[in-house]
Amino acid sequence: MTTLEREPVRLDAPRRSAARSMTPWLIAAIALLVVAVILSLCLGARSIPLSTVWDALFHYNPDIAEQGVVRESRVVRTLIGIVAGAALALAGALTQTVTRNPLADPGLLGINAGSALAIVVGITIFGVRTFGGQLWLAFLGAGLAGVAAFAIGGRGAGMSSPVRLALGGAALTAVLGSVTTALLLTNPDALSSFRHWLAGSLIARAEAPILPLAIVGLFAVLVTALITRSLTALALGDDSAAALGTRPGRTRALVMVSVTLLAGLATALAGPIAFIGLAVPHLVRGVTKARLGWLFALSLPVGAATILLCDVFGRLVARPGEVPVGVTTALLGGLLLALMARRLTVVTL
Amino acid sequence: MTTLLPDAPLAPAASLTRPRRRLGRVARVTIILAVVALAVIIVSLWMGTVSVSLWDTLRAAVGIDTGTGADFIVGQLRAPRVYTAALVGALLAASGALMQSIARNPLASPDLLGISSGAAAGAVLCIYLTQNTSSLALAPWAVLGAMVAAALVIVLGSRGSIEPFRLIIAGIGIEFVATAATTLILTKIPDNIVPQAYAWIVGSTNARTWEHVWMGAASCLVILPIGLFMVRRLRVLEMGDDLAAGLGLRPGRLRFVALVIAAIAAGLAAALVGPIAFIALVAPAIARRITRSPGITVAASALMGAILTVAADLAARELLGSIQLPVGLYTSLIGGPYLIYLIVRSKGQFQ
Repeated sequence: MTTLEREPVRLDAPRRSAARSMTPWLIAAIALLVVAVILSLCLGARSIPLSTVWDALFHYNPDIAEQGVVRESRVVRTLIGIVAGAALALAGALTQTVTRNPLADPGLLGINAGSALAIVVGITIFGVRTFGGQLWLAFLGAGLAGVAAFAIGGRGAGMSSPVRLALGGAALTAVLGSVTTALLLTNPDALSSFRHWLAGSLIARAEAPILPLAIVGLFAVLVTALITRSLTALALGDDSAAALGTRPGRTRALVMVSVTLLAGLATALAGPIAFIGLAVPHLVRGVTKARLGWLFALSLPVGAATILLCDVFGRLVARPGEVPVGVTTALLGGLLLALMARRLTVVTL
Repeated sequence: MTTLLPDAPLAPAASLTRPRRRLGRVARVTIILAVVALAVIIVSLWMGTVSVSLWDTLRAAVGIDTGTGADFIVGQLRAPRVYTAALVGALLAASGALMQSIARNPLASPDLLGISSGAAAGAVLCIYLTQNTSSLALAPWAVLGAMVAAALVIVLGSRGSIEPFRLIIAGIGIEFVATAATTLILTKIPDNIVPQAYAWIVGSTNARTWEHVWMGAASCLVILPIGLFMVRRLRVLEMGDDLAAGLGLRPGRLRFVALVIAAIAAGLAAALVGPIAFIALVAPAIARRITRSPGITVAASALMGAILTVAADLAARELLGSIQLPVGLYTSLIGGPYLIYLIVRSKGQFQ
């Protein structure tokens, strides 16, 4: 089995002491998110002092160009980053938990690629222009790709074999990505407007309605909160989980729904971004161990902060242009994956 | 030791008991593959939007002045592209065959291990630093990129001994890093290079010239004989390090040399056309299956690679009419499902 299994499952963990030990980490995670938001608002092709950002937010004066930059561009991309980053991190934490596989990331599994393909098919073949229509396609693509990824990687040794899942995901991503690129290359208009989005970008879909998407995200968070206890029981195995009064099949189905919603909305917003869902739960688990509720709770702010910091890095490294955030996450996340290869221990079941 | 092919662990013994018949089959299949490769190349030279008579095509393709439009259409446009595709396919397949032999795993290939992408990153870095886009100038950088990627994968993916599953996870990681680095460097290169940028990410045979052909031919002339020379030793190595050492080979050094050759081949291929996916994975596997060879077959693999790449290039040129997609997309569409098939079929065998 994998590193996930080494920790004893603390179904009856004393709740109060857990809460006490984790609260500082939650505060630290939120502080990190606040810092990331401030950096995301201040830094970029043009660095804007914090006081100007403050004025732009609370004493807006349209005559000052810098305040316009903050309100028009930086606030939007920061909000998109928060929603997409939190969604991807939670989706990663959920898939890793339910597959008991530390490499199960919606990006690595091909779920985000499926979502992106569905959107591109909608745009280039069916002429779907509205964001709402594309969002439904994103959910559809994420769901289908998720089923395919688990069908490929989940046979035989089960989903807990990191290599099967990762390789199956890599193959699926290659095929879906090829079709996506091919469709875009045959359609110059779509290529020019969706090229940045395809690389993973927080500004490509600046027109997206954030509020409804955040509500979809919150719904998925709610579902996750409701099934956290069942998931903890599921870690003991299907039989024990059933004996404890949960329904393993229903729990897995609800996880699938959550992951589909989260990965679909993140991809519709910011493109197929990999590795946030791999790296963030991996880091957070170092603190929370097997306490799933805290793993999910901490993944949200840390995921949002991580994607914002990656985006800021991409803005600073290529001034006055910028590097899409998906490139930065792949750069850092790929390195993390290669480093994880050393530490994985695999025992035949 | 993990092998997906069910006959692989036992097969070397069979070759020791019945060497003659097996060799005969390998040789026959290799000759057939050479004929098929030649046929595919001729078809690819002949087909196109501008129709040229077969006789003119054949003469123009070998440089004879026909005094017709074929001199330009075939001699300057199609022939360099088709020949480059064939040579690159051979290089990639040879690289894949060597790596699959070293890792004793049909999944080990320069594209899955990130080595092709590392080579592309090196090539793009050269374009960025020197503004020089000739393949000859890119080659050393691409080879260096391939070497760095291979070294990283091996350092990160092995703990004491080389374990295939660890190698593959590390390889997927390095693949992402190298592709991201390529994209990153491409954003730094001025001019509007969007279509060309995709060529360096998925691999394209578009607009090749005779310069590419000569470089590809020179690369093949160096790499393939070395590969052929190493085949026998590598087959012994596949039976285990102890046995190989007992037969007078030095397993560590042999594996290192083979890996360096494989990385150089992948790097040269990437310098010519970018990272074309899955040829290095699929071609040796098909060659091994149809030759029923116990170990790797460099000659048959190289021919198979040439056939697949030329066919994919033909599809890229002709399948969608005026819309030309990079050849790397077509190879991914063929190779991806094959990889999925390998994984699905492997059941619990490889952990």
